[in-house]
Amino acid sequence: MRVRILAPATRGPTLQSGESPATIPGVAQIEVQKLTKTFKVSEREGGFSAALGSVFRRRYKQVHAVEQIDAVIEKGEIVGFLGPNGAGKTTTLKMLTGLLHPTSGAATVLGHTPWRRDPDYLRQISMVMGQRSQLHWDLPAMDSFILHLAVYRVDKARGRATLDELIGLLDLAGVIKKQVRTLSLGERMKCELAVSLLHNPAVLFLDEPTLGVDITMQARIRQFIAEYNRRYGATIILTSHYMADVTALCKRVIVIDRGHILFDGPLAGLSTRVAPFKVINIDLSRDVDGYDFARAGDVVAQESRKVTLRVAKERAAEATTRLLADLPVLDLTIEDPPIEDVIAQVFARGTGPD
Amino acid sequence: MRTVLAVMPAFMRVSLATMFQYRAEIVLWAVWGVVYPAVALAMWGAAVAGTGGTDIKGFAPSDFAAYFLLTMVIGHLGTAWDVYEMGYMVRSGRMSTRLLRPLLPIWSSVADNVAYKLLTLTILIPVWMIVVWVTRPTFNIGWAQLVYGLPAVLLASVLSYLWGYILALVAFWTTKTEGVGEVWFGMSLFFGGRLAPLTIMPPILQWIAAFLPAKWIVWFPAAALMGRLSIPEMTWGLLMQAFWLVGGLVVFRFTWRAAVKRYTAVGI
Repeated sequence: MRVRILAPATRGPTLQSGESPATIPGVAQIEVQKLTKTFKVSEREGGFSAALGSVFRRRYKQVHAVEQIDAVIEKGEIVGFLGPNGAGKTTTLKMLTGLLHPTSGAATVLGHTPWRRDPDYLRQISMVMGQRSQLHWDLPAMDSFILHLAVYRVDKARGRATLDELIGLLDLAGVIKKQVRTLSLGERMKCELAVSLLHNPAVLFLDEPTLGVDITMQARIRQFIAEYNRRYGATIILTSHYMADVTALCKRVIVIDRGHILFDGPLAGLSTRVAPFKVINIDLSRDVDGYDFARAGDVVAQESRKVTLRVAKERAAEATTRLLADLPVLDLTIEDPPIEDVIAQVFARGTGPD
Repeated sequence: MRTVLAVMPAFMRVSLATMFQYRAEIVLWAVWGVVYPAVALAMWGAAVAGTGGTDIKGFAPSDFAAYFLLTMVIGHLGTAWDVYEMGYMVRSGRMSTRLLRPLLPIWSSVADNVAYKLLTLTILIPVWMIVVWVTRPTFNIGWAQLVYGLPAVLLASVLSYLWGYILALVAFWTTKTEGVGEVWFGMSLFFGGRLAPLTIMPPILQWIAAFLPAKWIVWFPAAALMGRLSIPEMTWGLLMQAFWLVGGLVVFRFTWRAAVKRYTAVGI
């Protein structure tokens, strides 16, 4: 009989061994203090009479999109912003890029207050919004690239070099001469990334950069983001609905739900906080018909001689003892739940009733 | 300002390239600018004939021809469509990508505008020549009219653009500005002198027009280039244009700040 306790099941960042992580400890690039955003939205029932009524009297509701969040992000970090729809991720990103004025609180990015919208600040950042294009639809992407270099006043030789590098890294040579509106979503996303990096931003905000893109292309984009971070030491904040984006890129995650930060720390620590349970796998030497596994924990899977249980963390030891005493155990492992399940649980929280 | 000057050629190249993609539409818009002054011209020509006399308040058919030809040119140079477009920009969130740039969004719109005007001149100049050949306008001008009139035309197009853009900023509050655009166009018809030379309009309209920028955007440069204004009148006109320009810049500055504040407060 073997009993093993396994290390947390994370799939660390895809950085190859030998590459130094780009994070520079102690150099805070983004500091957020008690950042709060409250929207006033009008609401009404559906239907014509309600529509007519709203002409004369509007009802407003306060929506607390982001409430008193604090965070410090250091130069070169890749931080994943996680949370269900409507958690406040995009709102936070918009405040940090100067597209939204907060209701209260403070933020400093690269020494600037984002919503003052100082051109010196805007020149040093970039934001990629998966659902919004920065490219001119009717023209080949190359035209948008050249315009971008001019708008950000990038030195000609340097701009050309960056452009060539990005075209190589993202494999864009065959794409940039085609009209943007004829590109596939994946090709367009690569162009969006390229255009947003042409001025070599020190801080990059990525809002759902792989949304709707097929799996191969997602992997390609991830690889590129990691590579960019490694080469230039850029700080990257990323929101995504794809767990693989987060597990592949982010060592640190910030989980936000209904405007509050639920968790801020290493990806591996997320399961301890958000999903405080263990997974127990048991291999049995013979069939045990009629044994009530549910007394030990939730049965996740059960084949004839293989059982997987989910048990609250504090009850894991007790459950293990009981299982070992009651059953003919061949092998028993206790592990943290897979990070994918943990993240899924984070997202699922937002979908339930309030 | 150095940044703006450096970026303008790049913006214009993109604007022109985009317009080449929509050649037919561009031609139609440009020709529409010829159609309505031509209709007004035909109407007033018929009106003069209807009175049995030779003119209406000093405007003979060839004077009407000159006046409406000039309003065609001035109207073209004053074309601005931001007021029709801004609502869409704000509603669809496209403004966000513009606001991320380290440059005021108005500059890319100015580039689009100038590119459109330059491009369509290639079609319009021959059309205007045909209008001249058909309607035989009379001009009564010397050097003074040119020296005063040409800057007046330039200032008029700047004023038209600037005030059009200021009105477009209403979109940041209402998210729809097509209605505002129609009111603005209507104003230039009645109070700007696009429908008829201002001096033959009822006194009450002339009186209201004196307090609006439209008069200095259409009527004044046209009347100056026709030779209908004395030098003191033209000097006064240029001063009034300068007043509306400075006023426009001040209003723009405040409105733009408020608009961005509003946009970033609501988060569209």
